[in-house]
Amino acid sequence: MKPHHHLDDATLLSYSAGALPTALAVVAATHLERCAACRARLLDADRIGGVLMQQQRIDAPADDARAAMLALLDAEPATAPAAAPADLMEEADPDRLPAALQPWFGHSLRALRWKRVAPGVQRIRASSIAGGELMLLRIAPGSKLPLHSHGGNELTVILDGAYDDMLGHFGPGDVADLDGQTQHQPVTSPGVPCICVAATDAPLKFSGWVARTLQPLFGF
Amino acid sequence: MMDPHPAVAEVAPFRAKRVVAPPASNATPDAQYWSMQMAAVSAQRDRASFMRIYDHFAPRLQRYLRNLGVAESLADELVQEALLTLWRKAGLFDPARASLATWLYRVARNLYIDQVRREPHWLPIQEGLDRLDLAESDRRDSAPESLIDQDALKQAIDRLPAVQAKLVRMCYLESKSHSEIARELGMPLGSVKSSLRRAFAKLQGSMGGAR
Repeated sequence: MKPHHHLDDATLLSYSAGALPTALAVVAATHLERCAACRARLLDADRIGGVLMQQQRIDAPADDARAAMLALLDAEPATAPAAAPADLMEEADPDRLPAALQPWFGHSLRALRWKRVAPGVQRIRASSIAGGELMLLRIAPGSKLPLHSHGGNELTVILDGAYDDMLGHFGPGDVADLDGQTQHQPVTSPGVPCICVAATDAPLKFSGWVARTLQPLFGF
Repeated sequence: MMDPHPAVAEVAPFRAKRVVAPPASNATPDAQYWSMQMAAVSAQRDRASFMRIYDHFAPRLQRYLRNLGVAESLADELVQEALLTLWRKAGLFDPARASLATWLYRVARNLYIDQVRREPHWLPIQEGLDRLDLAESDRRDSAPESLIDQDALKQAIDRLPAVQAKLVRMCYLESKSHSEIARELGMPLGSVKSSLRRAFAKLQGSMGGAR
């Protein structure tokens, strides 16, 4: 199923530039894995990078650097250059976590060890990730999360289940690419729990006394 | 290595025969020129073509990495590694998909994230995304490379309003996050993002890839 909610252009640009904080880049890659349209836009962003790289003012390469390069070629085995690998796609397995998440959370959705952080909310935080927070959230069907906004950027990709907020309906593969201005109050769909991966580069801000009570539970 | 590997010679026998001399010094080599050099590297392991690529791109990649704050000796090593990757993986280069400049930009950017920022998970994930695109190369959401007007993109970059041009360069050439740019320029985060969005829309429009 094709995602309906995509990465923001500014996020894609930053991803292409290698300038997205790690936690956000992991979630962006989770969406890119499922979204050919965003991969195509990423190629456009890479083309901009290619032109900017080519426009760099330069000196001619030094003779010794050229000689060193040729010496490296001499050391290369005289085999044919690599061709495209044959085994391109893995079987679609609903239990398999996206490749971008596997270094942080393992391979299997079923094998995840959730920790309860609030009624109906379970979480797993990625440890030792630089420049932000990366976490999996599992929210019971039909739950209403507290109204909150974000101090910085937040990226969320739905892995299973769905939720609705004022921005629309978010199902598997969809990404919510939010900045500090957006206040939202997701309500998970009935049926199955909503499992998503979320990253922030700054702490969340909850509004209202109920939310302030919940905030320590979320531990953001 | 004068005889091309038989399996490889099939890749692009016609292109490979049309290896051309470097262009006159006043002409900027275009994407087609570079893809012919790549065909010769891939099919014939042609060192002269490889060194034409090296002479043009190695100093530019070196400057790109130096601007990102990479120490000179490490930048030299990464440039060598990027060009060695080109030598090894020339058969994977698809001129219909991306120009050599785009391809080398990706390789150098990935090496920077892998070896300078030391994020060991980045490289395999990018390679995975590339494989997904190869698997779907018959359906393209992006304009094919042959329709991309490199000069139009260059001109569009030159025509960006000053603030947008500055933000795009801070993003690509200094690898600064939106938040870092906002802090450094004293701009609201939302303005940084909306300026980058407008810049991307203009540049994408120049490529004929706007949708």
